Amino acid sequence: MVSIHAENLGLSYKVRQKMTLGLRDRRVLAGGRIEGMGRDRHVTALDRVSFSLEAGDRLGLVGANGAGKTTLLKVLYGIYVPTKGRVAIEGRVDALFNIGLGFRPEATGRRNIELRGLINGWSPDEIKVRMDEIIVFSELGDFIDLPFKSYSQGMAARLAFSIATSFEPEILLMDEWIGAGDPNFQDKARQRMNEMAEKAGIIVLASHNHGLLKKTCNKILELHESRLRTFCSAEEWFGKQASSDESRL
Amino acid sequence: MIAVLTGALDDISKAMRLHRVWVALAHEDIGDQHRRTTLGPIWLLINYLAFAGTFVVIFGENRSVPHFAAYVATGLLVWLYFMEVITLSVTLFAREESFIKGTTLPLTIYVMRLTMQSVIRAGYALVGCLAILLLVRTPLTVDWLWSGLALIMIMIVTPAVILVFAVAGAFFPDLSFIVQNLMRIGTFITPVFWIGPGQGIRGEFYRWNPFTYFLEIVRLPVIDAEFPATAFGICTIMIVLLWVLAVLLLGRCRKKIVFVL
Repeated sequence: MVSIHAENLGLSYKVRQKMTLGLRDRRVLAGGRIEGMGRDRHVTALDRVSFSLEAGDRLGLVGANGAGKTTLLKVLYGIYVPTKGRVAIEGRVDALFNIGLGFRPEATGRRNIELRGLINGWSPDEIKVRMDEIIVFSELGDFIDLPFKSYSQGMAARLAFSIATSFEPEILLMDEWIGAGDPNFQDKARQRMNEMAEKAGIIVLASHNHGLLKKTCNKILELHESRLRTFCSAEEWFGKQASSDESRL
Repeated sequence: MIAVLTGALDDISKAMRLHRVWVALAHEDIGDQHRRTTLGPIWLLINYLAFAGTFVVIFGENRSVPHFAAYVATGLLVWLYFMEVITLSVTLFAREESFIKGTTLPLTIYVMRLTMQSVIRAGYALVGCLAILLLVRTPLTVDWLWSGLALIMIMIVTPAVILVFAVAGAFFPDLSFIVQNLMRIGTFITPVFWIGPGQGIRGEFYRWNPFTYFLEIVRLPVIDAEFPATAFGICTIMIVLLWVLAVLLLGRCRKKIVFVL
């Protein structure tokens, strides 16, 4: 059964003083709170985040920049290992964080499908079987045999989304991916996401686009300074938003 | 300690299962570097021949050493390979930052991608080296097989060397400049075109330079038709030690790398 259970999830890491002879790089990963002093200085990127998702859920992650949305997605995907709490995931996970990631500018769209497939762990036969379907869904037509560098951002987004969803991941994690696609493709993509969720999958989508989240998601998780502020149904969250907007007026 | 070893071995075995990824990416890398050129990767061969030819002409003049061209050709083959591998290793994880922060691929994938790239490039240099050996009529003996074994040993140690320098470079970015300078100096303190062991400081450089022994195991079977047992022994010990260090570093640091890039 496809599910995600996160319990008191926490991620903190030391602000490393890189050994360097030059000026120190004081950048930290985007988001989180910087706490402690001197050698104990650390970033708390996620703090006591608990939630559960079941098959069919479409979760919208909201929060200001740096609230921890991307960090949470990356913990769910397995890029960051949580330092506190636990996360239990049942189901095949795929992610779309960065549209251009893994695409080679000089290679054709077709070759890029092969490479992305290999990176996702697909066998050459699996790639062959899905190739035509990916090309049709991406609507790239004859462009598929041109170098990726000749694609517009929207075309790149279409190709990335088509590949990521072609293998029917049971859990799909997405970070602000949709802004680049044209409205027609956005509708098509939303339809595919709904189909995925109906097939008992889970979608987690981090976005500032409330209109998109309202149309797509049934649950909302709001993060504030790396802590969970709200986890409720989308209806309830947007209802609260509407009433707070009204009271402000 | 067990967790460190298990983590490292798990990373390595995942990368081996995903061998198609690093083989494909390495081929694309080589292709991309030469895509817009007319001669393509043949430039790798030309570069090697130009470099080796210059060394032979400049340093071989008035030299009474037999097989000097073969000496330089084999020495340069090994030295240029190590020089490229080590220089590129230090910045490996920084170059792969977007992949490391955007996918769950094991770190060993990037190590193997660089290994594969370097081996492909060295393949072109090897063709150039064999051409020089034929041109100067170096006698072909059965001892050349020892050189073949030596090349395999160098390929085996390559991922360990890359891992050690890549992890060190991720935590200490200044290392890339230190290594670049050391490798430039290394061209002169390694017996690439001068003949050791020699006396005084040159003799010390010859004896204490680890690259000397990797050069010897490839070079001596071709030049002197002999099996350099001591050099093979030293290289075997270095390969084992480097792999132990690489596995320990990978196990300890693999989860931290993503936070230091």
